[in-house]
Amino acid sequence: MFHWLEKHPFFFAVGVFIAIAFAGLVEILPNFAHSSRPVIGTAPYSTLELAGRHVYIKNSCNACHSQLVRPFKSETDRYGHYSLSGEYAYDRPFLWGSKRTGPDLMRVGNYRTTDWHENHMKDPKSVVPGSIMPAYTWLFTNSADIDTTYAEQLTVAKHFSVPYNQDVPMKDGSVKNVKMAQSLAEAHEIALEEAKLVTADMKDQDVKDAVNRGEIPEIVALIAYLNSLK
Amino acid sequence: MNKLYIGGAIFIALMVVLTYLSVGTSKGGFNGDIVNMLAIAGAIALVTITVFVVIKYVRQMQQDNATGELANESWDGIGEYKNSLPTGWAVMFLLTMVWGMWYWTIGYPVNAYSQIGEYNEDTAVHNAKFEVKYKDITGDRLVEMGESVFLAECKVCHGINADGIDGKAANLNHRLDAASVKHVIENGSNYQLLGSEMPMPDRNGLFNNNTGALITDAEIEVVSHFVANGMSGEGADIFIGACSACHGEDGKGMEYVAPNLASFTPALVVNVLNHGKKGIIGVMPKFDRLNDKQKEAVGAYITDISK
Amino acid sequence: MENRPLEYDYTIAKMFMLTTIVLGIVGMLIGVILAFQLAFPGLNLILGDSLAEYTNFSRLRPLHTDAVIFGFTLSGVFATWYYVGQRVLKVSMAESKLLMTLGKLHFWLYIVVVAAAVFSLFAGVTTSKEYAEFEWPIDVGVVVVWVLFGMSMFGLIGIRREKSLYISVWYYIATFLGIAMLYLFNNMEIPTMFATSPAGESGIGAWYHSVSMYAGTNDALVQWWYGHNAVAFGFTVPIVGMIYYFLPKESGQAIYSYKLSLLSFWGLMFVYLWAGGHHLLYSTVPDWVQTMASIFSIVLILPSWGSAINMLLTMKGEWQQVASSPLIKFMILASTFYMFSTLEGPIQAIKSVNAIAHFTDWIVGHVHDGVLGWVGFMIMASLYHMAPRVFKREIYSKAIMTAQFWIQTLGVVLYFTSMWIAGITQGMMWRAHDEFGNLAYSFIDTVTVLHPYYAIRGIGGLLYLVGFLMFAYNIYKTMSSRPIEERELQSASPMGA
Ligand code: HEC
Ligand code: HEC
Ligand code: HEC
Ligand code: HEM
Ligand code: HEM
Ligand SMILES: [Ca+2]
Ligand SMILES: [Ca+2]
Ligand SMILES: [Cu+2]
Repeated sequence: MFHWLEKHPFFFAVGVFIAIAFAGLVEILPNFAHSSRPVIGTAPYSTLELAGRHVYIKNSCNACHSQLVRPFKSETDRYGHYSLSGEYAYDRPFLWGSKRTGPDLMRVGNYRTTDWHENHMKDPKSVVPGSIMPAYTWLFTNSADIDTTYAEQLTVAKHFSVPYNQDVPMKDGSVKNVKMAQSLAEAHEIALEEAKLVTADMKDQDVKDAVNRGEIPEIVALIAYLNSLK
Repeated sequence: MNKLYIGGAIFIALMVVLTYLSVGTSKGGFNGDIVNMLAIAGAIALVTITVFVVIKYVRQMQQDNATGELANESWDGIGEYKNSLPTGWAVMFLLTMVWGMWYWTIGYPVNAYSQIGEYNEDTAVHNAKFEVKYKDITGDRLVEMGESVFLAECKVCHGINADGIDGKAANLNHRLDAASVKHVIENGSNYQLLGSEMPMPDRNGLFNNNTGALITDAEIEVVSHFVANGMSGEGADIFIGACSACHGEDGKGMEYVAPNLASFTPALVVNVLNHGKKGIIGVMPKFDRLNDKQKEAVGAYITDISK
Repeated sequence: MENRPLEYDYTIAKMFMLTTIVLGIVGMLIGVILAFQLAFPGLNLILGDSLAEYTNFSRLRPLHTDAVIFGFTLSGVFATWYYVGQRVLKVSMAESKLLMTLGKLHFWLYIVVVAAAVFSLFAGVTTSKEYAEFEWPIDVGVVVVWVLFGMSMFGLIGIRREKSLYISVWYYIATFLGIAMLYLFNNMEIPTMFATSPAGESGIGAWYHSVSMYAGTNDALVQWWYGHNAVAFGFTVPIVGMIYYFLPKESGQAIYSYKLSLLSFWGLMFVYLWAGGHHLLYSTVPDWVQTMASIFSIVLILPSWGSAINMLLTMKGEWQQVASSPLIKFMILASTFYMFSTLEGPIQAIKSVNAIAHFTDWIVGHVHDGVLGWVGFMIMASLYHMAPRVFKREIYSKAIMTAQFWIQTLGVVLYFTSMWIAGITQGMMWRAHDEFGNLAYSFIDTVTVLHPYYAIRGIGGLLYLVGFLMFAYNIYKTMSSRPIEERELQSASPMGA
């Protein structure tokens, strides 16, 4: 039979295709619907947080940082509760990473703070002697891209029913309503409001001034995102 | 050619020794951890098997001759023998397939195993072990334990010497600095430093009994330095007048009323770890991840270093 | 059939040889920079503060991986296809105008897509998915290039004279199909520019931005089904195809066993795809998927080793060739490293071992055993074999080739030994608890210990790059300054000084 296939390229190709396509169907499909259901306490990203996520991706922080706490005592001691599938329901793309040159960031919002990130992102060595993380000084001057963020929010709300402007249940029994704007201008307003909350805890005067002028430096969005990781 | 085998053996030994030197000498080391053992075993198996299997074939290149019946076809001059499968390879292939099917259907406890279950068991074992141990850890040992917590969890913000890294976090070698005191007087404080809700008023609620008036800018300046100086120097009178009612005349605080301003206490640190706080320096996060003993220990450590 | 030997047309093979070398240099140079950045972080500012955004580790890392995978390796695959394909199918590209046009289009569009990819990664336009970083406009380009490759490949097969397909061709066909399927599914994404706000605004934001069709755990499953098999169909399958042609051809030996070739091929095809879940051990994907991936990873050892053993046995009794020809040395060592990494991978796929290895440099070590020792060596060996034939000149210098072989071998050994030790050390430090039950190390403690290993890896990588530059020089001199060969070359490639 194989000899025959080797003389008939079309059927050979079909044979190869069947051999390789099989596994994906069996392994990926059965859990598709189940894995993507959010757990209680998981809310969509706010406008500024999502903009910060884009900054994170743009700078490939995932090259060095994972966002996946494995169920080992040593990891839950270091990073907090192990990850649950539903916590990633609004992560498009997922950002688990595959290399921990730096620590996991899945729950970094629990144990690091705005002012610490500010110092750290500007000059990691100044807070952590011996750090090999690069300094991300340009984030303090580049502006975050709120337009694209808003377009993404609209897209996921429409195609994946991400519950913006809806009550989602929180762990303590309360509900959270993450706001998505009705227009681009409103999106900028929402982001700016969030940015002001972040800069209240920041020291850098240029960044504070920028936000007062109505601009949003990338660092502000990034910190909002890092703080949201809990 | 024995040279090859000797070379291979030396190479394997070298890898193992180097790895041991690097891992075995570090704190914790192999730790009797089964996962560590398996990883090392796997690593050793990897070099050993590869090196010796390849040497086996190299010896065939050196000693054997190519034989067999050639197939009729040839592609661009490349012929093909009709040799049968190498026995070792064929047997291993069959074995792994059989093993795979066995493991999948019988060996792997499809319903009984879950990685979370495994985690829960490991954690329970760990906790049980240390619960027993924790009873005996007191005094200097507790401080030592606290240092170990501090170095793993706190030094990224407070610095390896707990000096706060140029004002980026609180300097824990002494109780308070003047700027923090001043900030608290001006803005009040409400971070459950006593363990429960018990706010300190801001300056609009702070009367200096000596003058009978609200505390003034000048007085705030002086008393802040007084507190930061370890309750000494100029300003004792203002402190008595405005603060002692709550913080005590010696500044050592009063239970349920106000915290100790003269020195750290383990209880204060534990409260900070439970609730976090925000001050002029920045935000101190709360630390849910630490267990009670760890919090107590790091409290003892900070109390000790700030004496 | 006529007796006169066919005049094969190597125009397109030559073009892709050039990009193999150029993109190889670029990709590896960036790799060396990355390696030294981890050892000496000051190098993040290698071109000064103002350019730090473009020269820091995290911006450069995807450029390295994509340059070596989609640049160096794929070019190598294309170059060898346009050489090997004609010869084992006994048909010349020159026989079909259409095929020549397709081939050229394939090359030039490839160049355009590479340029766009480099530009976009420098600008930070990425979707973050490893080895699938490109945004949708580039994806479209990739698909077009791939379709052109497929058309030109199946076109050539369609007009072949040799009825039955040689083993190498099986692997090239599988490469084409595998990558096509994987790439399409992993890049399912919705461009955000189609969104319309309630206020009626549309075309908002960056036109090239998109959002993945899958979320969280599902996205991870699809990504690593892709990622693992991008390795399979990029770094393994076509390279096995190369060695099946170039080793027997260069040595003049017949393939040891057809049966072994057959079982290895179909075994590899069937087993490989199941193993992707080993990138997600202890994650939130279901336990049974993880276990299945571990099992299939172990089973995968045998089909992988089958090809390598077939190659080693092909050299049975031919030690004098191995000893005297650096070109054959490259291929024998490549088989060895292939065996090493295809045993290392399955061992790392055992759950308990992965608990240590995952997220550490041991994985990076495993990667480079494969890519430097196997992929890199095979591609260079292939080009060395092709050069005298496509340029009709003997290889400029055997001495350079020999020196290069030893320099690069030392480089690979330094790379994988240092990363092995670094990875295991760090993995164990992460897990360590002290006598009080506290974590024994803060994260930074587990970073600073790695410094010497990072430095050694950098040196290893630098040696490999130096070797590659020697290779490039040797090929360049071959093209430009050796006498023309009159005769049609059979096996062993002629080498100068
Ligand atoms: C070259 C690797 C590298 C890159 C790229 C990198 N980091 Fe890091 N990161 C580290 C290392 C190493 C540490 C640990 C030492 C330290 O805290 O500086 C770290 C620590 C951190 C921490 C502190 C986490 C903790 O638990 O202490 C945060 C937050 C962080 N990085 C965020 C980022 C962000 C955001 C980016 C991208 C904009 C980034 N990193 C890029 C290597 C990197
Ligand atoms: C009405 C009672 C009261 C008075 C009067 C008072 N305090 Fe306090 N103080 C408190 C309480 C209660 C807290 C703890 C607040 C908390 O939990 O955040 C506190 C906290 C503080 C802290 C913060 C300690 C830390 O570690 O962050 C400082 C500093 C302080 N007081 C200084 C003063 C000084 C100086 C004065 C006098 C000018 C003063 N207090 C007067 C009740 C008082
Ligand atoms: C993300 C950074 C960060 C980490 C991690 C951190 N701290 Fe702090 N900590 C701070 C900052 C900033 C302050 C100062 C808050 C202020 O402005 O008063 C502080 C204040 C404190 C205080 C209060 C001092 C006072 O006078 O009230 C204590 C006690 C303390 N930290 C202990 C710890 C311990 C113990 C740990 C580790 C288990 C730790 N911290 C980890 C940032 C941090
Ligand atoms: C039998 C064959 C193989 C198996 C079972 C295998 C298995 C693995 C495993 C378990 C990992 C680590 C996943 C993790 O924990 O992060 C891995 C990573 C990797 N392997 Fe292999 N491997 C094999 C062969 C190869 C070969 C031959 C190459 C290259 C030539 C290769 C390239 C890679 C790459 C690039 C990664 C890194 C993926 C990432 O970015 O995380 N593998 N492999
Ligand atoms: C000159 C030699 C090279 C050096 C010094 C080098 C160095 C590096 C470094 C430093 C990294 C990042 C590791 C990390 O994040 O910790 C890396 C990643 C990678 N390199 Fe190389 N590299 C070289 C050649 C190559 C070649 C030739 C290939 C492929 C053909 C390759 C493929 C990869 C891949 C796939 C990764 C990602 C690994 C992962 O994510 O696990 N490299 N390389
Ligand atoms: Ca990776
Ligand atoms: Ca894409
Ligand atoms: Cu894999």
